[in-house]
Amino acid sequence: MSDGKSILVDTSRCTGCRGCQVACKQWNDLPGTRTKQAGTYQNPPDFSCDTYKIVRFAEGKKEGSREPYWYFFADMCRHCMNPPCMSASDKDEIVQDEATGAIVYTKETKNIDFETARSSCPYDVPRQNPDSKVLSKCTMCIDRMRSGLKPACVLSCPTAMEFGEREAILKLAEERVAELKKIWPKAKAIDADEVRVIFIVTDDPKKYHTHAQA
Amino acid sequence: MTNHWIDLQHSDVILIQGSNAAENHPISFKWVMRAKEKGGKVIHVDPRFTRTSAKADVYAPIRSGTDIAFVGGMIKYIIENKKYFEEYLLNYTNAPFIVGEKFSFKDGLFSGYDPGNRKYDKSSWALEKDENGIPKRDDTLKHPRCVLNMLYQHYKRYDLDKVSAITGTPKEKLLEVYELFASTGVKDRAGTVMYALGQTQSTIGVQKIRSLCIMQLLLGNIGICGGGVNALRGEPNVQGSTDHAILYHYLPGYMPVPRAGKQTVEEYIKAATPASKDPRSANWYANTPKYVVSLLKSWFGDVATPENGFGYSWLPKCDDGQNCDVLHMIDDMYAGKIKGYFCIGQNPCGSLPNSNKVRAAMTKLDWMVHVNIFDNESASFWKGPGLDPKKVKTECFLLPATANLEKDGSQATSGRWMQWLHRAVDNPGDCLSTGAIVTRLMHKIQEMYKKEGGAMPDGLLNMRMDYLTPDGKEFDALKVARRINGEFERDVKIGDKEYKKGQPVPGFGLLQADGSTSCGNWLCSGSFSLDGKNLMDRRGKEDPTGLGLYPNWSYCWPMNRRIVYNRASVDLQGRPYNPKRALLQWRDGKWVGDVADGPWPPMGMEGGKLPFIMKPDGVASLFGPGLGDGPFPEHYEPLESPLKRNLMSKQHNSPIITIFKSDKDKVASADPRYPLVLTTYSATEHWCSGAITRWQSWLTEAMPQVYVEISEELAKERGFKNGEWVTVESARGRIDAVAMVTPRLRPLTVDGKATHLVGMTYNYGWLHPKDSGDTCNLLTTFVGDGNAGTPEYKACMVNINRKA
Amino acid sequence: MKRRSFLKMSCCLGAGLALSGLGLTLAPVAAYADDMKKADALRTAVQSTTVCCYCSVGCGLICSVDKASGKIFNIEGDPEHPVNEGALCAKGAGLYQVSAANEHRLMKVLYRKPGSDKWEEKDWNFAISRIAELMKKERDKSFIVNNEKGQMVNRVQTMSLMGSSNVLSEECWATTQFARGLGFTYIDHQARV
Repeated sequence: MSDGKSILVDTSRCTGCRGCQVACKQWNDLPGTRTKQAGTYQNPPDFSCDTYKIVRFAEGKKEGSREPYWYFFADMCRHCMNPPCMSASDKDEIVQDEATGAIVYTKETKNIDFETARSSCPYDVPRQNPDSKVLSKCTMCIDRMRSGLKPACVLSCPTAMEFGEREAILKLAEERVAELKKIWPKAKAIDADEVRVIFIVTDDPKKYHTHAQA
Repeated sequence: MTNHWIDLQHSDVILIQGSNAAENHPISFKWVMRAKEKGGKVIHVDPRFTRTSAKADVYAPIRSGTDIAFVGGMIKYIIENKKYFEEYLLNYTNAPFIVGEKFSFKDGLFSGYDPGNRKYDKSSWALEKDENGIPKRDDTLKHPRCVLNMLYQHYKRYDLDKVSAITGTPKEKLLEVYELFASTGVKDRAGTVMYALGQTQSTIGVQKIRSLCIMQLLLGNIGICGGGVNALRGEPNVQGSTDHAILYHYLPGYMPVPRAGKQTVEEYIKAATPASKDPRSANWYANTPKYVVSLLKSWFGDVATPENGFGYSWLPKCDDGQNCDVLHMIDDMYAGKIKGYFCIGQNPCGSLPNSNKVRAAMTKLDWMVHVNIFDNESASFWKGPGLDPKKVKTECFLLPATANLEKDGSQATSGRWMQWLHRAVDNPGDCLSTGAIVTRLMHKIQEMYKKEGGAMPDGLLNMRMDYLTPDGKEFDALKVARRINGEFERDVKIGDKEYKKGQPVPGFGLLQADGSTSCGNWLCSGSFSLDGKNLMDRRGKEDPTGLGLYPNWSYCWPMNRRIVYNRASVDLQGRPYNPKRALLQWRDGKWVGDVADGPWPPMGMEGGKLPFIMKPDGVASLFGPGLGDGPFPEHYEPLESPLKRNLMSKQHNSPIITIFKSDKDKVASADPRYPLVLTTYSATEHWCSGAITRWQSWLTEAMPQVYVEISEELAKERGFKNGEWVTVESARGRIDAVAMVTPRLRPLTVDGKATHLVGMTYNYGWLHPKDSGDTCNLLTTFVGDGNAGTPEYKACMVNINRKA
Repeated sequence: MKRRSFLKMSCCLGAGLALSGLGLTLAPVAAYADDMKKADALRTAVQSTTVCCYCSVGCGLICSVDKASGKIFNIEGDPEHPVNEGALCAKGAGLYQVSAANEHRLMKVLYRKPGSDKWEEKDWNFAISRIAELMKKERDKSFIVNNEKGQMVNRVQTMSLMGSSNVLSEECWATTQFARGLGFTYIDHQARV
């Protein structure tokens, strides 16, 4: 058996265009929700049952400099190799696809304890539909993968995302990090051994998002 | 764009100045990032630290509107440090030409200024010519009045201290940018410029771009792979709409608009056709007569004959010197002189400057016809803020149009690729394409004139618009595309080849001035093959040069040339200056690579022609007497500026701009009531005034409401908190917005004083969503560029207070 | 942590497959039946290429139309397009919401009488006839054959036209003809602003 699929999100290349955020809504027929401007480009403010993918915007001043930084973190489910959220599932409410490794929440997740699932996730990804009680998150576009298509977010990404066999993506991540380290010593691929959706950052992961790293 | 999107990957240094490409042309960054991966460097010069700056290697802040000072300093740096590409300068630009003795520049004004008319007499801005009428030259570049030395005389005034005091850019940043970009003035390196509305939306916009052109010419970066001066155009088909002249001042194919002083087609052609006495100059516009006559034939068909001047007299003519651009149009509308208004796919009440004036102007109309796919603040102006619909007498139509998805036809990208779109579905509801609407309306009006007669019906009745589909309902875009390309109007023999009546003209080289060809726009001629194939609809992925030119994908004007002026990429023997990126080379008696700018052999060979074929002298103009405000770009302050004086000269503003004087045109420059510089823009998630995107929930979810970006320093000074509502006010209007307090903006030191800059988008409007806010154009000044009339959206003065 | 059972489905994942002609089969899995519908529909959809309607990069897209309903159900980037290679920004990725699926799209001719506070729905015959009547009236009233200097100018300056760079080139060209045929000199659009 192959080692399944992986996605690489190289934040050093991400321009924060949010093509991925909207492409995810488009493919998954998710509604646009009513939001408010709260003094940031980031909207919607967080994941919800209607939002599986959001670009998180983080800004500040570079250490010892007047120069600002602006980091874009195209957040999504990491599709863990050994997903902690499955501990909340007894009867295949949460399943792992054999071929790809994608973690999928079925409609039956309405029967499992949401808080257990959410609190078990180191990346704070699971959300619940308040009406149907079904749990939701990114499916890695398992339906598209099965049809030989790239996940919608990957297809739409102009600069930062790669999709492929896990071995190839791991190799790519390693090479890219080595390259980036020449300029940014803090460059790393976050939790690469534990997750299928691997984020490359060039600075402390906490500066991007509280739950960027497990 | 001189070049094209994919070509950006070949640049060693990309200067993005006056563009927020990562946000406003996001997919361009696919190629910008690829350049970076190959070791290229990206410089972003902008008032704000944006998503573009976040990916740049060097970010230099600049005060809005001061780009000429910034680039002027670069020109000085390049010349003083001899960073220019001398061989290119000598052979392909007018650097060695001699400027006439009568030309001068003093106290911010060039010779020939007439303050009463706010115009220059340009006769003194001339190059010296020899007895044969060919420009004199000094190839040693020692002559004190040779163009290069005159250029240096002009720009040596732009020293680092002065430039930094004007722009607010720290001196070390200026130097860093100058050094990095000037490193491309060698054969094997390429530097490109990406600019957009950040350059154009200014009273000195055209000259800002000229300063970038001068910089690029000094470095030998025009006509080469990875180089160029690339306008990132803002709309999906603004290249096409510009080519086809939905603009008062020229005809399709960039031929001047007929004016009253030119009463016959002969007079018009004589004035519009430049002459050159230099046998090495191709002087392409010598072909103007062919293009004019072919255009008239395409409009009037068989009734256009040599006897009636091909119908030239029927065309409307502006008076000599008359300006009918958008600001004059709105000003006249506000004055009650314009009664009827046709508005297609545009939302002027949100997108034009000084919205209060624009909105008031609309109420003066007897009728307005609006064509769009969604309602907007202009179509529904009569129920806008502060208006009582009962008192608005305007009769209004809002016609439902089809969207791109529902149409066949072509769009021209910024890279001049004419790409064919395929209709995916039938017209929804009662929607009709814009093409069908104007055609059906024209037919109706023609029918009424035929029946009832009326004012001067000839031109109107003869205008040939036979484009409806057989059912009389829709628009046959393919038929129109063929007419734009051009057809043989009768059987003709050109050279030893015969062409049949009705065949497409396979390129503008075959157009004729005798009425035997028609062509709606000479630039597009060649988009159909002789056997009728629509070349815009090609999807071939062959890439013979390996440079990503994709010659078999769509069609690129002119003549499928992907990079214009490409003969400037080779030396006099036709050898590429940079063999690693060989755009073109002369091999075995012919050009190989991109479609060469003309078939002639290299310059150093018998019959060779100069590469800048659109210029009468065949070379690019460092000294450019064509514009209205001077042959060299000079810095002037925006109409509203924080400074009381222009640090460069006594001339504060551009000497040639029109100052509008209605009661709505209040100006407050260097006024303590409005101490903050405002710059305006658009975000990725909305498009322009938001007239289309605000109806889409995925986009309003991402960017829901109006905001004003302000620095942490200003917020601290004024006590504003991030996310709270504030009121932004100028001399012309006020608007509420959410304060976005950010480290991405910072005060700049301008003329020794801390100057705050704030930013807003024009993405919002009162109509929808109801809580989204309104446009920043309620604040902007109603003034345009001296040459092009482009409004100065990028700089005006405001104040901000906590919302009452 | 207890390891859950895997979804067992045959899966063929080739990178870079063209959107059409996939011809893949799936083992039906109850839990997934609903979620596979859209991917399945892509295989039988009528697909056509278009170009984005926002900035001037000119990204290619593929529209998928359901054969039965004749409606667009998916729009995504064209992976074959040499400029965008399938990529799209937020606006382009959301192009579906420009289609007729958007409830806000204008579907009827709307007319507002002078002094009225609302739009009324009308048909094209009304609109074309009434607009033509208004235009002819204004043209006949204000047409200038000769200017003050006595030069023939054949123009009308009390009517003006703006737009558009958001319609196709052929429509732009016809618009130019329309305006100049009627004698307009006040002609402008987004290209200047």
